[in-house]
Amino acid sequence: MAHPLLAGAPGETHLFLGNEAIVRGAIEAGIQFVSCYPGTPSSEVPDTFFRLSPEGSYTFEYSVNEKVALEVAGGATLAGALSLVTMKHVGVNVAADPLLTLTYVGSPGGFVLLSADDPGCHSSQNEQDNRIYARIAGLPCLEPATAQEAKDMTRAALEMSRTLGAPVLLRTTTRVNHLRGPVRLGEATVLPKPAGFQKNPSRFVPIPAFARPMHLRLLETLEKARALAETSPFNTVSGSGTVGVIASGISRAYLADALLEADLTGTVKVLDLGFSYPLPEKLLEGFMSGLSTLLVLEELEPVLENELRALAQRLGLSLTILGKTPGLLPRFGEYDVAMVAAALRQALGLPAPAPLACSCGADPVVALPTPLPNRPPNLCAGCPHRATYVAVRKIFGDTAVYSSDIGCYTLGILPPLKAADFLLCMGSSVSAGCGAAKAAGQTVVGFIGDSTFFHSGITGLVNAVFNRHNILLVILDNRTTAMTGHQPNPGVDKTNLGDNPVRVEIEPLVRGLGITNIRKVNPLNQKATLAAIEELKDLPGVRVLIAEEPCPLFARRAYGQKRTQVAYVAADCASAAADGTCGDCLNTLACPAFYLDNGKMAIDPILCAGCMLCLQVCKNIKARKGDA
Amino acid sequence: MSTRLRIFMTGVGGQGTLTATTLLARAALSAGCDVTSGEIHGMAQRGGVVESTLLIGYKSPKIGHGEADILLGFEPLETLRALPYLKPGGLVLSSTECLAPLSVATGKETAPSVEEIRAMVTARCATACFLPCRSLGLQAGAVQSGNIALLGALCALGVLPFGREVVEATIRATMKPKVAEINLKALNLGAACPA
Repeated sequence: MAHPLLAGAPGETHLFLGNEAIVRGAIEAGIQFVSCYPGTPSSEVPDTFFRLSPEGSYTFEYSVNEKVALEVAGGATLAGALSLVTMKHVGVNVAADPLLTLTYVGSPGGFVLLSADDPGCHSSQNEQDNRIYARIAGLPCLEPATAQEAKDMTRAALEMSRTLGAPVLLRTTTRVNHLRGPVRLGEATVLPKPAGFQKNPSRFVPIPAFARPMHLRLLETLEKARALAETSPFNTVSGSGTVGVIASGISRAYLADALLEADLTGTVKVLDLGFSYPLPEKLLEGFMSGLSTLLVLEELEPVLENELRALAQRLGLSLTILGKTPGLLPRFGEYDVAMVAAALRQALGLPAPAPLACSCGADPVVALPTPLPNRPPNLCAGCPHRATYVAVRKIFGDTAVYSSDIGCYTLGILPPLKAADFLLCMGSSVSAGCGAAKAAGQTVVGFIGDSTFFHSGITGLVNAVFNRHNILLVILDNRTTAMTGHQPNPGVDKTNLGDNPVRVEIEPLVRGLGITNIRKVNPLNQKATLAAIEELKDLPGVRVLIAEEPCPLFARRAYGQKRTQVAYVAADCASAAADGTCGDCLNTLACPAFYLDNGKMAIDPILCAGCMLCLQVCKNIKARKGDA
Repeated sequence: MSTRLRIFMTGVGGQGTLTATTLLARAALSAGCDVTSGEIHGMAQRGGVVESTLLIGYKSPKIGHGEADILLGFEPLETLRALPYLKPGGLVLSSTECLAPLSVATGKETAPSVEEIRAMVTARCATACFLPCRSLGLQAGAVQSGNIALLGALCALGVLPFGREVVEATIRATMKPKVAEINLKALNLGAACPA
């Protein structure tokens, strides 16, 4: 049966994840080309396109990084295809170079960039506000707050982009990507086949002489977009009064609920700003005139607030504007209903809300009786990264600086592995590691996963060779992009849809850079891994250890790998808590299958993945047959 | 429908917290409710905490401290940890079967016992209902169906704006027959618990 995302009929209502709703919106617009680099909270968009791709009438690819993804989709729109490129917020930094010129060159087929921002850093290294990219690049920007809007705005963004011939930004946040709600479907459009690229160098080649008029044309396009924003169905005014609220993104949902709960719906004037850039200045002038106080609701940076202050000044309006600047609302993290309700009361001149209470007592923050043990995410049982880290630590201990990168293996930060000392961004393990080593002569070991290596580790490695850096780079090749949900990368044998027919091998690639000190091991073989690290340890220059073993979660699904052995603790083990003399396995591996059974070391036979790493650490751990 | 309800759900990665959330959201939608749900699961598969929400009659997918009418805990320690989300007078449904965090399993930290958790939760909410979800799941035919038992108990308490038959119909409509049978059994086993 065809999936409702593809085959659902107009008028039907389905419960969709925000990210699924984006897919449906693109399908309704007649999407022809999709590229991406996966990353939470955006990943379900490309993963859904990938899963449906055998039945869909669009071209889809997982590109090697966000810059490449944006360029590929940029080329596709130049050849007339309605194109979508998806990434997480920090990915837009990687793609910023082509993005800021694509807006000059234009997008004849239509082009939407989905930037999935992450206020609160639920799964990211920063919480940058990508609405600023709309300003610096010149992108009309739409910001959904519900699943229905995620669908409707994706469609509208693609259609507007095709009409204007200009790229459009669809900006979401984690809460929107990962909410579920009812979505009423619309009619799916079938567009004519892309016409192909039409040669016109003065239009498409931004040499300085052509770039200047291109910039003017972009500014004119933004004025056309502003005119569309003035009458957009996504910018709606409701309520009345002399206190107004302008809200964007998910803050609109918090505002609606805050008004509902305080029974204030209709008593303040509200502008829901869904089409948030360029600002609809006429609409805003009408909205702000007659207001004594305006509250601006936007997570992260005071982007709208500052623009509204500038607009009010230009229009000579003397209203009080509340937002981030008077210290009312934070410039970091997420908003919520209570926070918005408190700001709303201040704008209305009402007394501060009653202190927050919860079931446990007055203050939820101190409501629990004792600090509870945390449950940090951990490398899975059987994860080959654990084996690599154990071996590296055995040889270097704390004498090396561990330059980490982005992936599951960043979880190696936790004790006892402690294999992440610093981290900047995708690919930085190599280059930042080189710089750290050169500055003071410290020993640096870098860790990078296979997908991250293809993403932007290769460039750093070329630089390391060229500039004669000293680094031992460990490429943790687990044959998939594990952290974000097992997406394929150029090196994999298998994808979730079958075999990968074209494989880029890491070892010959590294060799091709002129690196000669290369070892390739299966990290689950500790003896061989330790020997390889010993050999590479004291050599000068760039050395590469490739630790190759599939992610066990992926291997189970994609390779049909079965567990053949289970580890157990022999009866005569003098374990950690018993006399304090042992506990190597507990203290060095942190395997989720380990536990203490009445003070005695034990291994959960259900959780054990059968990697047999622990057998190589302690002679008291044995293997028995087991395929559970 | 004018009913407004906020349900906060919490569990450990791999327990099926999100499956239960989506099932309940589908049931709510089919009953004509204005439903929104949300989930936070960045690294959940790696043994972390999974939190999700289901809201009826609200626009936001997020539940703040002191806002939840109902707390569903698929793991008792996580039930306790999430208590600050429950509003005064709120209802708690929780599994009694622990999945110890690694630090506790390996003797580096201690956690309150199930009995202690039960006492602390009961003392801090208006109504609490505990059931052995994992055992009920196994009894129904698959450990993963334990979370559906908790939904069964929730239905039996009559606090939802729709009945158990809507959840049953949703299970039949969205799961393969064999899996649906197990989950229907778990739903009924759970429904028999609150007494």
